[in-house]
Amino acid sequence: MIYSLILTTLMFGAMFSVLTVSLNLQYARGGMINFGTVAYFAAGAYAYAIVTQEPPSGLDQYALGLNAPWWIGFIAAGIAAMVFAVITGWPTLRLRGEYLALTTFAFAEVFHSILLNERRIGNGSVGMANVERPDPAVLGLDDTLAYTAAACVLMLLTAWVFHRLLASPYGRLVDATHNDEIAAESVGKNTARVRLQIFVISAIPIGFAGALYAMITTLVAPALFTAEVTFFVWIALALGGERTILGAILGTMALVFFQEAVRMIPFETVRSAQIAASVEEVITGILFIIVLRWQPWDRLARKATT
Amino acid sequence: MTLFAQFVLTGIVTGCFLILATIGFSFTRRVEGFLNIAHAELLGVSAFTTWALNKLLGWNIFPSAFVAIVFTAFVGLAIGRIVYDPIRRFGPSVMLITSVGVAYAIGGTMDALIGTGIRTLDIPLASSIRFWGLRITNYQLLVVVLAVVACASLALFLNKSKTGLAIRAMSANPELAASRGIDVQKTSRATWLISSGMAGLAGVMLGVIATLSTDIAFHQILQILAVAILAGLGSLYAVILSGLIVGVAMDVSVFWIPAGYRPLIAFAVVILVLLIRPQGLAGSAQSK
Repeated sequence: MIYSLILTTLMFGAMFSVLTVSLNLQYARGGMINFGTVAYFAAGAYAYAIVTQEPPSGLDQYALGLNAPWWIGFIAAGIAAMVFAVITGWPTLRLRGEYLALTTFAFAEVFHSILLNERRIGNGSVGMANVERPDPAVLGLDDTLAYTAAACVLMLLTAWVFHRLLASPYGRLVDATHNDEIAAESVGKNTARVRLQIFVISAIPIGFAGALYAMITTLVAPALFTAEVTFFVWIALALGGERTILGAILGTMALVFFQEAVRMIPFETVRSAQIAASVEEVITGILFIIVLRWQPWDRLARKATT
Repeated sequence: MTLFAQFVLTGIVTGCFLILATIGFSFTRRVEGFLNIAHAELLGVSAFTTWALNKLLGWNIFPSAFVAIVFTAFVGLAIGRIVYDPIRRFGPSVMLITSVGVAYAIGGTMDALIGTGIRTLDIPLASSIRFWGLRITNYQLLVVVLAVVACASLALFLNKSKTGLAIRAMSANPELAASRGIDVQKTSRATWLISSGMAGLAGVMLGVIATLSTDIAFHQILQILAVAILAGLGSLYAVILSGLIVGVAMDVSVFWIPAGYRPLIAFAVVILVLLIRPQGLAGSAQSK
């Protein structure tokens, strides 16, 4: 029981960490509030499903199923998220702060609504079930174990790439764009382009995570990709403390662990399970408020330096 | 053509409801300076308080609605004082993100207390009024009347009363207002009471014209945002105009596109406005 709890936490925690780490890059380093994270995640998952799914038959309403091998789908997921980031980022990134938050949020809702209503993309609200996935049994591995490992690899890879990126001269350019845009522009840096680059670069791993999510759940449906995913990632980011990759990962792990632990409790009735889920939501919300108000991580960091 | 006119009429009712729902939101935004995502949850609080008093305790609808509105106003005030006041120094972005946490906390509490399922108030069935081949129910008419009354009294309050003028001064320039001897604390409290009370009124209306479920609040915030963004940081009148625009646009859109896309119209409005005219209908260009 404990073993499976740890394993699920690690699997989903690592996968959502990819989102948190990417969001961390956008928000803490790039200064962009992206309230539409789920759209890039969904774009990846749907791209993966469409590319790998068999052509439609019977009651299927989706128009396209390419039946390609999984790794092509995986690459397609990254590309889909990237393309979506270019489309949404290009016109919106000149907006600042809360306005950017609203536009990205609106884009995500529009995307969700299209997935829900346009049955030719992925069966509408039913979604696509039995998504193809590589079978780890070939390597003699357990399913859960293999996908946990895959999620961890993706997380570590993302963290490593972002870490290297931010440690490079380019990272200093990103910080300059965030901290003092006028100064950065006065030494000839195109800050608008840097912002778009960061936005697009950080969307790619989110797309990969989406593909991985589709593999793990073997289902893509609009109900899985609601604004709750976005808020979940934001709360995880606030919990873990901004500006550090490790913090983002730990915050996500803690939040996923908390949710999975509540889910493990056996409930007698549907109502009590429902109450537990609601209470979990309340606690998450209150934690979020508290963390933002007292900012304990910043204080710890300041104490450590002085 | 009659059908089209009917859609426009329904759109006006939707618009009036949106005005009621947005006034408080827009008010908070101007005076407190941030987008309060949790505002829509207050609609839910009010709607379900009314429902609990009306259905569970068997009260008449009028006292239930009144108590619910007052209760919601004070819930809003309490949240403003406890949660938002201490973090004002972190700026609007942190307040916006915090309000998501508040929305979670309120939404979760309502889920836990009420549970899923559809609820209705214990009120007489709507009777429709027909004219020129169009139809409007008496409850829809009530929404329109209340929206007009609420807007008019708010306009009077803001232009004539001392507190109203203080609120306007605060929203225009907080430092200057404080230095001229306006009690910032008191004004801020009045703002929270009024904007939450407006949310309470809108929540009661929601209970009257629609069926209630606990996820209803979340669906409202999307449209509230659309109206508020379209209105920009402008005046009350801008909110009225953009509420009607969004309401009519949403309902008339059903004429051409599948009804499933109706909520999308609100978002198309948000995106278009932010891209073309970020300062909204009224209001001059602002910094950041």
